[in-house]
Amino acid sequence: MKKKKYCAIILNRNLPKVTNRLYKNLKDNNSNLDVYVLESGSDKNKISRHCTWYANWKSALKNGLRYSRGMNFALSKLDAENKIDNYEAFILLSNDTEFNNYSITGKIQSILKKHDKIGILSPCSKNWGEYQLLKKNKTKYFWFIHNSAYIITKKFLNAVKNKSKKPYMDYFFDGSNFRGYGSEFDIILKAYSNDFSAAITSEIIAEENTSYLLNSSKIIKTDNYEENLNRYIKEGETWLKKKYGFSDKWSINMTVKLFYDKFFEYYPQLKNYKI
Amino acid sequence: MSIKSNIDHFIKDKKSTLLCIGPMSKNCVDATVELANEYNIPIFLIASRRQIETEYIEEGYVNNWTTREFSKYVKSIDKNKNIILARDHGGPWQGNYDLEKNLDEKKTIDNALKSFFDDIDNNFDFIHIDTSYRIDGKKVSKENSFKLFKFFFEECNNYAKIKKKKIYYEIGTEEQSGGTQTFEEIEENLDNVTKFCEKKSLEKPIFTVIQSGTKVMEMRNIGSFEQPVRIKNEIPVEIQLLKALEICKKYDFYLKEHNTDYLTNQSLSWHPKIGIHAANVAPEFGVAETLSLINLMESKKQYKLINRFIEISYNLKKWKKWVIDEKKCTDFDKAIMAGHYIFSSNEFIDLKKEFMKNCKLNESHINNLLKKSIKSSIKRYLTNFKLI
Repeated sequence: MKKKKYCAIILNRNLPKVTNRLYKNLKDNNSNLDVYVLESGSDKNKISRHCTWYANWKSALKNGLRYSRGMNFALSKLDAENKIDNYEAFILLSNDTEFNNYSITGKIQSILKKHDKIGILSPCSKNWGEYQLLKKNKTKYFWFIHNSAYIITKKFLNAVKNKSKKPYMDYFFDGSNFRGYGSEFDIILKAYSNDFSAAITSEIIAEENTSYLLNSSKIIKTDNYEENLNRYIKEGETWLKKKYGFSDKWSINMTVKLFYDKFFEYYPQLKNYKI
Repeated sequence: MSIKSNIDHFIKDKKSTLLCIGPMSKNCVDATVELANEYNIPIFLIASRRQIETEYIEEGYVNNWTTREFSKYVKSIDKNKNIILARDHGGPWQGNYDLEKNLDEKKTIDNALKSFFDDIDNNFDFIHIDTSYRIDGKKVSKENSFKLFKFFFEECNNYAKIKKKKIYYEIGTEEQSGGTQTFEEIEENLDNVTKFCEKKSLEKPIFTVIQSGTKVMEMRNIGSFEQPVRIKNEIPVEIQLLKALEICKKYDFYLKEHNTDYLTNQSLSWHPKIGIHAANVAPEFGVAETLSLINLMESKKQYKLINRFIEISYNLKKWKKWVIDEKKCTDFDKAIMAGHYIFSSNEFIDLKKEFMKNCKLNESHINNLLKKSIKSSIKRYLTNFKLI
């Protein structure tokens, strides 16, 4: 099988060693992977040696970009450089992601070959309840995936991307939801409503090392865990209300589930992958 | 209309979530019956064996009622027959006596059966068979749990047939994990029960308890239902609950949620929309009554009596099962969350008499005020569950 090209984007904020380690592990184990590092408002002395782009405007330096805006910024930069079509899929990683086995592109390629409707693919964690559902069939389609490591296919990205004056706000994710509570619903809804599926695979195992957020919030220049959590929910709920008129997660969860069920009506041959 | 038809009507036609209330006290029972009759809606009274027990074993802690006395009382005040009497968590080692006496398996099975038979004799409508618990803390295997279920289910069916009583059933090895069960486990359980009922030509149980991300500790719900972040090794409730409902539909069971207490109005209002068919609420109403009593005593400046109440409740140590971290919880809160356990004790009855005497209040006046606060708590559920 001819190796296709893949792209990984790592989001860094003030943790260069962690980022460099992730970069090296990915590069050492995947010959067909280009790895880009986005500095999400890091201090000048805490930039990864692999930095590709540096979001260094005032608000980015003060608050960072967070996952959604950061990934939008990086993807839109690739787009501006006409590089989107070079890759089959984009692996969007926060720097605290740790893979059990860093050799991932071969697995991604074989999964996407078998599942050509997948728009969003998420690695699984052994600490997730979903892991128990992915024993016999290692890849299944879900209507809800809570993660900070998504793999987005080129086909899906090209189907939904926006080109605006402020692409870091809306290129793929909705950047108006700064901390991102509920943003998974938004992208999965986009997937199913555009005839793509969202899957979790236990063929690729990744864990989020939350110790950095818990112990290094001052270095990362973010709120402490509790404060961040409160703001994450409050902002997300305000965003849900403003964007959809929904008062909580259940409204949008039910909506995504509706599109999920519809997807299998059109693609009954994929019912084996329905949870 | 039969109980089953009425339940179907409220679930399928009115798209409501049925409310199942733990009889935490006599006032709680009275408040429930009055509301059910005022609004002409079915409400379940779900009695655990610790609350209400057969006279052949011991009386329960709620008003010292035996099963016979409790049933007789409820039937006497339930003018429009809106109350559905239900046994909650019947089964081995579910009764206080069995736990205190450390009964062996054979004896506790005998007692569980005695308790079920007395429920049937005394016109209970529903029986929840829970075979998930062992006194020694060992996990009951799926096979053993199912074997015990079959035994109780067949025995109860046979007994009800002899006594010409109509009994409906609830199954589910619910534990207050706040977490989730795998879909295979749920399917396997419902499939086994369905096949067994077909083989024996028995009517299937109506409700199954499935963990739906609720867990009550202290005076809040700490389950995943309202958690915005992942809980280790649990399927997110956004997935678990909708999938569990699909499985229930496939096997033609209604889903009954346990430990629904203290969820926000927003979460409760989602219950009928998501399609949760019934939900159990208990300690929240006990706490509502206790807090109301404390407030009343406070308004009458009966501080010594408040302190005595706190002391009695605290010393009984029933709060232990509800506390997350003993050091972080105040003695006052511990006493409040377990206040309803003392309502039938002689010490409390004396305290209440002293309160009435000190403040020149009669008992019915106090009880009406307490019932008012319980009713207000219950109405939160009736409204959000689209029952009224």
